[in-house]
Amino acid sequence: MMSLAQANLNKPYIVDSVHTDQEDIREFLFALGCYPGERITLISKLASNYIVNIKDARYSIDEDLAKAIIICA
Amino acid sequence: MKIALAGNPNCGKTTMFNALTGRNERVGNWSGVTVDKKEASIKHSFAPEGENLILVDLPGAYSLSTYSTEESIAKDFILQEKPDVIINIVDATNLNRSLFLTTQLLELNIPVVVALNKIDLAEKKGNRIDVTALSEALKVPVVCTVSTRSSDNGLPELIKAVLAAEEFGQEERVPFVRNDRQRYAFINELVRDAERKKLSSEQQTLQDKVDRIVAHKWLGIPIFAAVIYLVFSISQAWLGLFLADFFVGWIDKSYEAVASLLGEDVNPVLAALLLDGIIGGVGAVIGFLPLIMVLFFCLALLEDCGYMARVAVVMDRFFKKVGLSGKSIIPVIIGTGCAIPGIMSTRTIKNIRQRRTTAMLTPYMPCGAKLSIIALFAGVFFADNAWVGTSMYFLGIILVFVGALIIRKITGDYSKSYFIMELPEYRIPSVKRAVISVFGRAKAFIIKAGTIILVCNAVVHLLQTFDWKLQVVAESAPETSILASIAMPLAVLFVPLGFGMWQFAAAAVTGFIAKENVVGTLAVTFAITNFFDMEELALVEGGAEVGTILGISSVAALAYLVFNLFTPPCFAAIGAMNSEMESRKWLVGAIAFQLGVGYTLAFLVYQFGTLFTTGSVGEGFGAGLLIVSAIVATFVILMRRGVRKHQIRTSVQAVKS
Repeated sequence: MMSLAQANLNKPYIVDSVHTDQEDIREFLFALGCYPGERITLISKLASNYIVNIKDARYSIDEDLAKAIIICA
Repeated sequence: MKIALAGNPNCGKTTMFNALTGRNERVGNWSGVTVDKKEASIKHSFAPEGENLILVDLPGAYSLSTYSTEESIAKDFILQEKPDVIINIVDATNLNRSLFLTTQLLELNIPVVVALNKIDLAEKKGNRIDVTALSEALKVPVVCTVSTRSSDNGLPELIKAVLAAEEFGQEERVPFVRNDRQRYAFINELVRDAERKKLSSEQQTLQDKVDRIVAHKWLGIPIFAAVIYLVFSISQAWLGLFLADFFVGWIDKSYEAVASLLGEDVNPVLAALLLDGIIGGVGAVIGFLPLIMVLFFCLALLEDCGYMARVAVVMDRFFKKVGLSGKSIIPVIIGTGCAIPGIMSTRTIKNIRQRRTTAMLTPYMPCGAKLSIIALFAGVFFADNAWVGTSMYFLGIILVFVGALIIRKITGDYSKSYFIMELPEYRIPSVKRAVISVFGRAKAFIIKAGTIILVCNAVVHLLQTFDWKLQVVAESAPETSILASIAMPLAVLFVPLGFGMWQFAAAAVTGFIAKENVVGTLAVTFAITNFFDMEELALVEGGAEVGTILGISSVAALAYLVFNLFTPPCFAAIGAMNSEMESRKWLVGAIAFQLGVGYTLAFLVYQFGTLFTTGSVGEGFGAGLLIVSAIVATFVILMRRGVRKHQIRTSVQAVKS
């Protein structure tokens, strides 16, 4: 178990949980397809952002959010 | 009959809206361009006779649970105003995610027609979607569309399906959901059956390689600077200037034509009003139209190709440092066209302090109207160097950072928020779309020039023609006019900034009505009809002439430029700030802040510039220093108080916990 910020590039992981007290961001991530059980892949780290693939789209998320997304291999 | 367009951000709702209605609403290859709903009638070529089909374009939403304000606009409209039919645009390149919203829409008891858009892009990737299976599983009609194409785009079939859906209604509901997890289970199964993909989207693509360069931690910034410099070179030094030369020729011809038409017998005051006031003033503004059009064209191409979302990624960490997030970049970038839609798009920012701060700082980006001022001063004093415009853009960005930092300290609000943004795929920008959008803006510009700016120029001309006894002012004593006597007290304040002449003061004031007025008023008050040299493409020689007439040094000209760009925006933009900030206190504070920053900056530019170029400080240094010190002191006191408030708040929290 680790956060997305510690993930290896190009390796698909499974989302375990979203660790935040902001319910709305959890719901938002859910709508994008980032929820427990779904796949997530770290594509690259750019500037201070993490580029991830969720379902068929690329998103840029900041470090705080990357740390909040807990994943397992 | 009312039809709503609903779908994920950047799935092409506004492009389809424009295609179906013939409107020219703003589109861009990123999420969150549309922040408000828009209504128009569908073109008659699509609709059956006698039927009035109203199409409503809604901001993008990933789901009906609301995360951002613009998502709630979509939700509220659909739930409260109950459209007759919903066209749900599904991005064929991202089928799985799009269907989440689709299944939510299906539960509302409103007939839904699915438009499977961007089907051409999906096919290019080698994805195949079984439309029949999709339609059967969802129990709604599914029509493949490519709304960027002008023919064979599926749109007539889509409208036919919409009309049929309205007539027959929706027979049965999809019985799949007790909760959202089941919803996804249903979708995953459906997509597994209906979609065949050649490549997994998890694999690295060429796009990701490009991202690594253009959104690189350090490379990203010089690349962005180079892009902006290129845009300015094209619009202000090469193509734009070339076109402007032709254009100004026509304006001069129309001036001569009207002059000869009027003949000798017309009242000279009336003739001067018409020629120098109206044609001269409006002509001076319109003369910059080609430059502005070329700039907008370049910006439209940039927005269309998907690069702007990468700029947001590069800038995010800087915005973070000053208490904003990458989200604040969208308003700032839109603000380079016009501050008003830029300010309106701050609605996508959830955190209220960040939203108000962004609304307050967006006008620091030079908009299209301010571009005419930049072009004028760059041409007249700096031989059309593209660095003038580029540096004004970057100065704008720096001011946004510094401003945000100051405001965070003043408010004592150090709240943070997460940043997440979809990275759209790069695509080759469409020249056709850019041309259409540029002509839309050119039309708006000409309308503005023919109304507000025309009236302002006429009023300015009348006020400088007459004195308070309503006598025509003698040519030798222009300072006795009404305009001069009104502007003179203000001009005194500008002495420390290097442009303490009533003409400049008057132009700065009319600039609040519309920034193009600065150019118009200068043209009228200095009686210059042509800011471009007719003989040569380069403005150098003609420029020197205009420079002598204006009678200020290049340093003072730069200070004046800075003053006009970074003081409060036009009244319309202030109105937009008012409605997005929803606080009188913030609005007053914002205007005072902008005035203070603009004055201080112009003072620094003039005095330091003069010190460097001539070796001694400029006129009015002492008085100016006093004013600027007062402004800075006010900021410092307010910031200290804000920081204290923050400390008290954190210590209270510490005690509580």
